Amino acid sequence: MTEHIIETMMLTKNYGDLTAVDQLNMTVNEGEIYGFLGPNGAGKTTTILMLMGLSVPSSGTAVVGGYDIVEESREIRKVASVLPEYSSLYGDLTANENLDYIGRLNDLPKEERKDRIDEMLEIVGMSDWGDSKLESFSRGMKQRVGIAAALIKQPKVVFLDEPTLGLDPVGTKEIRELILRLNREQDLTVVLISHLLPEIQMTCGRVGIINKGRLVVTETIENLTREMTGAEDRRVEFKLSEVPPGLIGDLEAVEGVKSVTRENGRLYVYSGVDSDYEVSKTITDRGAVILLMRPREYTLEEIFLKYYEEG
Amino acid sequence: MAGTLTVAQKELRDQFGSKRFMILFGLVLLLSSLAAYQGVDYIRDNQDAGFVYIFSGTQMSFSFIQTMVYFGPLLGLALGFDAINKERTNGTLSMLMGQPIFRDSVINGKFVAGAAALTTLVVGTMGIMSGLAIPMLGFGPTMPEASKIVVLMLLTIVYLVFWMCLGIFYSVLTKRTSTSIMASIATWLTFSIVVTILASVVASFLVPLPGEGFRIHAEAGRIQITPEFREAIQKRMAVMSDIQKISPTNLYEEAASDILGVAQGFMRGMGFQEFQRTPTLNDALAANWANIATIIVGLVICFAGSYIMFLRSEIRPGE
Repeated sequence: MTEHIIETMMLTKNYGDLTAVDQLNMTVNEGEIYGFLGPNGAGKTTTILMLMGLSVPSSGTAVVGGYDIVEESREIRKVASVLPEYSSLYGDLTANENLDYIGRLNDLPKEERKDRIDEMLEIVGMSDWGDSKLESFSRGMKQRVGIAAALIKQPKVVFLDEPTLGLDPVGTKEIRELILRLNREQDLTVVLISHLLPEIQMTCGRVGIINKGRLVVTETIENLTREMTGAEDRRVEFKLSEVPPGLIGDLEAVEGVKSVTRENGRLYVYSGVDSDYEVSKTITDRGAVILLMRPREYTLEEIFLKYYEEG
Repeated sequence: MAGTLTVAQKELRDQFGSKRFMILFGLVLLLSSLAAYQGVDYIRDNQDAGFVYIFSGTQMSFSFIQTMVYFGPLLGLALGFDAINKERTNGTLSMLMGQPIFRDSVINGKFVAGAAALTTLVVGTMGIMSGLAIPMLGFGPTMPEASKIVVLMLLTIVYLVFWMCLGIFYSVLTKRTSTSIMASIATWLTFSIVVTILASVVASFLVPLPGEGFRIHAEAGRIQITPEFREAIQKRMAVMSDIQKISPTNLYEEAASDILGVAQGFMRGMGFQEFQRTPTLNDALAANWANIATIIVGLVICFAGSYIMFLRSEIRPGE
């Protein structure tokens, strides 16, 4: 059994009347890349602030790296790092100065600090820019220095809040590869907030979807896709030579069929069980010819939309 | 403690590197050097005027104390007004607090750095003033004068740190730096100008003049003042001075002038009020302990308020 590096127990945060995080129970395994997803304002960032001990939960608690987020938050900040959504370093300081400040705040001795700064800038590919001020950097460069800043304390777990937001495709790919490499080589646990579905699909082992402060689902990506395209929720697309009047009503009467829709000249039959035989027979009985028939898998986008709109 | 020092070190570098600090330091230095020069001029003409006149100024000139009365609030507030909320709006607060430091290290570090910057400013300014004056006069302060100067230096530092703490308080209280800078400017104007105007209006309302008390005898060529008129003016002055006591700038001005043992300002030198001079430092401190204590209490309240509010405040997404 894998160790849970993060475990929340009924974690709740209220801002006045607003419940940002609502009785959240979530676990993250050591060494995995966990996709933490949800619509804007779902409570993702608030959850991360609580897990870093920066915001006190209204009720419930959580354990990060073996430490309680309320009682031992300073210990957590030794083993966990956060890369906030927006650039969080000092624009008027150089990359080296920013990293040096963070190194000092982590009580790293001078020599070690210098070595690590060089090492981290090397990892994120910013070695040549150490003496330039942050404000002169592009968003992608800032983001890379931000990642270096998050890694300088050599954490066991990092929270990345939309690390590729606003980056061009090249930058996005580089950051994604960096995350995968760090996870593989340094056994770093990553909690990744992102809205980019391909990015999630390519990096995350498991995802947790949060909506209105509650965890709606937590599953591996494969299971998530399989679950929705399984026998429980079939969708079959038909292209017919013609759609005789009354056909849709007849199809809806077939046992197991939940609904039938017509879009762009195609019929979509939603059913709870495999009723392909009865459906095709009904169509041909009405005198139409089936030109194309195929089960339509749900795209990742549709899966997420389903969960995002729920609750 | 390590966190506090690290934050303080970074903040101090920021302060000394900032144009804001350099401009204010330059302005204070310029005004103070001019005041020192005027002081030297006065001392040369007056046998019994001592070295401290380079700080107290003369009746008709602008002095170091007055520089501090008028620019002190601005100096202190400028160093504190964006201490915390700037970190919030720049999103650096969550990064800073995401490090394994105690939460109060941030505010303590900023306090230490600001106080150190102001100490440098005061010691530097007074040092440069003395450095200008001594060669021109050919003599330095006597021992009692030197101790008065040191006490004035400490009082000035405490006074400026008080304003800085009020600035820090605004920076914790408000989310945006544009709000806290407006609050700071309003505070500065209130205490440097509005209180004086208000005191003068209230005093003239409370103490009406007797009328016909002031006339110039053309043939005698001199001003004649009735005893009633003189009394009314003195009463007005007393009322004004009492009202102005609510302003820390006046508390400082009174205490600072007394410490140097020299009459201060334009109005007080006009002859309407017999100004009591306090010859020794101990006498001055005894007479002004309440003023000094009030400034210190104000400093402590502002810092404690900021400290508690900051420790209780939430870090929200985006900060």
